[in-house]
Amino acid sequence: MTIRMGFVIITSRCIDCDACMVACRSENDVPLGHTRNWVKTSGVQGQFPKVSEMFQPGNCMHCDNPPCVAVCPTGASQKRPDGIIIVEDKKCIGCKYCLTACPYDARFSNSETGKADKCTLCLHRLEQGLKPACVQTCLGKSRQAGDLNDPGSVVSKLIAHYPTRILLKDVGTGPNIYYIDEAVPDIPEGK
Amino acid sequence: MELTWGLMIVIYLFTAGLSAGAMITSNLAFLYGGREFELVSRWGAYLSPFPISLGLGVLVLDLGSPLNFYQLFLTLELSSPMSYGSWIILFFTMLSFVYLYFWLPETYQRIGQTQQLGLWKKRLAKLMPVLSIAVASYTGLLLNAAVRPIWNAPLLPILFLISALSTGVAAVIMISNLGPWKRARHKELHVLTKADAGLIILECLIILIMIVMGRLSSASETMAFSSLLFGNYAWVFWLLIVGLGLIIPLFLELMELKDKIPVKWVWPVTISSSFLVLFGGFFVRYVITYAGQTSSWF
Repeated sequence: MTIRMGFVIITSRCIDCDACMVACRSENDVPLGHTRNWVKTSGVQGQFPKVSEMFQPGNCMHCDNPPCVAVCPTGASQKRPDGIIIVEDKKCIGCKYCLTACPYDARFSNSETGKADKCTLCLHRLEQGLKPACVQTCLGKSRQAGDLNDPGSVVSKLIAHYPTRILLKDVGTGPNIYYIDEAVPDIPEGK
Repeated sequence: MELTWGLMIVIYLFTAGLSAGAMITSNLAFLYGGREFELVSRWGAYLSPFPISLGLGVLVLDLGSPLNFYQLFLTLELSSPMSYGSWIILFFTMLSFVYLYFWLPETYQRIGQTQQLGLWKKRLAKLMPVLSIAVASYTGLLLNAAVRPIWNAPLLPILFLISALSTGVAAVIMISNLGPWKRARHKELHVLTKADAGLIILECLIILIMIVMGRLSSASETMAFSSLLFGNYAWVFWLLIVGLGLIIPLFLELMELKDKIPVKWVWPVTISSSFLVLFGGFFVRYVITYAGQTSSWF
């Protein structure tokens, strides 16, 4: 089965500490003023005394049907066989077409290189057998990453056990971040 | 989403359309107008290469990595309108300079024999409309492919094409009337003005249909069009585009066609109505580029 790398993010475990944002910035030398990942908040929901707030981390969804790859005029934006979407710096001319095409606003123009930049799923760490920086550092274990097509991976097991949702399903991008809002008392073992 | 594509891109979209429209005007005037339309055809040929050259310069400067721009021409990515568009505008721009050369007075034509040049001029005049239509409409496909509310409007390539033709004709009208010498005569201008009036009416219809279709689509798209009709861009849309860019020039042109303008007012009215068409064409590009980026899917 082909590899399909992606994320599962458990929103009930996210406390908006933003450690994932700090870790990513530190690991990938992201220039200030831009970010490769984010944590969005729903704001306060409900009426006192029944109030709640939900946090929703996010980053590049490494979509199955990525508009950013389709519109790239030089072929710099590519989808690898394992599903990870990368930008080949040598080919990127900084036209910013991919920035406009991403419905999740996952890309930005790197102010230092002038080229398109975004989450790379910490490919350089994966190649060394390490987890992506944001997953490694998440203290609530909300962020999980792995091969969605491998039934033995943590992400596959979570998807099999809990109801999930994806963002902007009707736009047709096929995003590979699955959100679980239910409480997950134990994270399953897996690859 | 914050603004990624700003004024530079709007300027490019406008100038590319303008050059394409002027080129088609020149081609049609030459092929079907005969001797009487020679002046109009000449002015169109002289005008056409320059707006798009300016637009291309601005486009390259807007790149994050401008020195890498040659990468565009190492490949052809069929899924990317920007890729095939770059090739199209490359050929259009180069050939528009060649076409200009064919229209130069004989004393300036150092290369080539007059008869040969005349033959190639006719051939080019038959080819250029195809390239011009491609240049004018691919920008609509460019925005379509980015899958954003407003930008994905199916009629966008047609709107940009009609707007390009309209601004092209208006620019030729204006430029052939500005200088004291070589002013186009009454009949030529009459035909161009009639064409432009027709194009304006068509443009109004297309904009209307686009808005109705958008408002009947998903909630995201309905809200995006709201920003045009009632929201942040309402004053640009209603005042600058509909009022100054469409209704008033149409009114002035219809009055000219019915010979209802007193003789001493004809020249200022012609210049003003042409200018307003250009003004409106610019702001159509502006509002669509900006409103598409400040809207998103939800």
